[in-house]
Amino acid sequence: MRNRLFLSACAFLLLVGLWAGCSRSEPAASSSPTVALVMKTLNNPFFVDMERGAKDAAQRLGVTLLVQAAEREVDVERQMQIIENLIERKVNALCIAPSGSKEIVPAIVKANRAGIPVLIVDTRVDSKALANASGRTAAFIGSDNVEGGRIAGRYLVERLQHKGKVAILEGIPGHETGDARLRGFREVVDREPGIQVVVSQTANWERDQGYNVFQNLLQSHPDLSGVFACNDLMALGAVEAIAAAQKTGRVLVVGFDATGDARDAIRKGTMAGSVAQHPEEMGRLAVENALALIRQQTILNEIPVTVELITNNKR
Amino acid sequence: MKSRQVVLSYGRELGTLSGLLLLCAALAFLTPHFLTISNLLNVAQQTSINAIIAAGMTFVIISAGIDLSVGSVLALSGVVLGGLLAGGFPLPVSLLGGLVIGLLCGLLNGVLIAFGRLPPFIATLGMMSVTRGIALLYTQGRPISGFSDSFRFLATGEFLGVPMLVLLMLVVYGTAGFVLSQTTLGRYTYAIGGNEKAALLSGVNVRRYKLAVYGIAGFLSGLAAVLLTARLNSAQPIAGIMYELDAIAATVIGGTSLMGGAGKMRGTLVGALIMGVLRNGLNLLDVSSYIQQTIIGAVIIIAVFLDLTLKKRSS
Repeated sequence: MRNRLFLSACAFLLLVGLWAGCSRSEPAASSSPTVALVMKTLNNPFFVDMERGAKDAAQRLGVTLLVQAAEREVDVERQMQIIENLIERKVNALCIAPSGSKEIVPAIVKANRAGIPVLIVDTRVDSKALANASGRTAAFIGSDNVEGGRIAGRYLVERLQHKGKVAILEGIPGHETGDARLRGFREVVDREPGIQVVVSQTANWERDQGYNVFQNLLQSHPDLSGVFACNDLMALGAVEAIAAAQKTGRVLVVGFDATGDARDAIRKGTMAGSVAQHPEEMGRLAVENALALIRQQTILNEIPVTVELITNNKR
Repeated sequence: MKSRQVVLSYGRELGTLSGLLLLCAALAFLTPHFLTISNLLNVAQQTSINAIIAAGMTFVIISAGIDLSVGSVLALSGVVLGGLLAGGFPLPVSLLGGLVIGLLCGLLNGVLIAFGRLPPFIATLGMMSVTRGIALLYTQGRPISGFSDSFRFLATGEFLGVPMLVLLMLVVYGTAGFVLSQTTLGRYTYAIGGNEKAALLSGVNVRRYKLAVYGIAGFLSGLAAVLLTARLNSAQPIAGIMYELDAIAATVIGGTSLMGGAGKMRGTLVGALIMGVLRNGLNLLDVSSYIQQTIIGAVIIIAVFLDLTLKKRSS
């Protein structure tokens, strides 16, 4: 009785698994090349956009595309497991947006050993760690984040008329993407004698942490006149904290990524601007270049994707 | 009566095991990439870290407690280990340092619970935050990476064709199974979980054994930290977030009662394998990561539901 109950539950689960498995289109004749795109997470709109760009390109080119991501953006171990599993599935090329610039290296080495070419998307791999492990990647496809940081810096400086106190919301320390944006921003701002960066704190890329951290910063620095957040989720958190403190309009918020929510906020004037990346473009370029590699064509090893500033004047 | 009990518990484990085998059979049928030696070794390696934490969790849950701090303790042990290695300390000293930190955190949990009379949920919830904070403080939020090959051998090496991770997992389960079923510590763990008052009245030093139980859980988190750090070639202060839930899930799927007093080490191993196989299979079948979370959640719910139903019937 007991066993039967348990077995029937297992059977039910298998049915669920079967259904989930079959409802995804399995490769038809498996003659088409299979490209895997492994992202950090699928609960960030940025990566959902990237997925869409990749899927469109895959459909157009007749490529079988597998898209997988960890549940949490910071879960480097889970991302490594996904890559190991896709290596077992013998995909023809791997496109990876690394959760950790150094932590991804062992997974890349495993793909190298299996003879699967690796393209890196969005976040750079730590080149020293890669060289130490004698790993190889075929290409990097991503935004010029340093330039994006500079653009954000120049815009904020101009809007503040070269004077005022500024805060920074950083991403997770050690993430190449956030560090690059920060570098670009500081490069511009530190040259401005009238602009003072009074505080720079991490909010771990997250909206709720952006809110809490910025609320605290407003307590300790009530005279802030601007904030640069290394992504829009944190920027939008800051926007809410500013609204809660009834300071809307008195603190200029510049974010990064120009997500849908951020564009709305810019239109409403609660955010001053955001540096747009083009994740769909990244997804498209990832699939196109992966296919070119599979067809033994040579590709560039640096494939930059343009960044642009979105403000209220523009749209 | 007693023989009936034995048959019952044996039947329960057979149920879990047949669940695992059914799952494997279904996956073998659905994808040609599942039932290969390299993939099975791959699954075993991916399961090992969760399984080792879950072995400690099994002790704790059988004693009718819970340990929510295991993921954070893993992070703290990992960064201390990483810091020692990066600081040039010899390998054995660094390893010992990581393991001792885990053990100490576990013992501190035990002191709070056994001597401070805090509910395990609260004590370990507090420790989860305390240890995470110390890990972040110690590293200033940055990962420590780049270790020697001799250290990394612990996670990447092989012994007689068996990956070290798998070997260590089996050693842990052999030892833990022996301690739980053959020693005084094991018998008293069941006794305390079954009826703490009765155990106390019959002369069991409940405090001392509770201390030991949480110490074991902490030590095994430290061991998991060693392996995770070696596997990723990086010690992250944000490692192990939500690992406590995976460990609890493996324990519960394996038939250990959250009420305490009942459970088997080999059940937990099967539970951890079910989770590992499920994740691997869902990756191989290219199931969307949204559906993956749903399926894994459903497995946990059904397993606990069965556990409770079975208990009602047998009493």
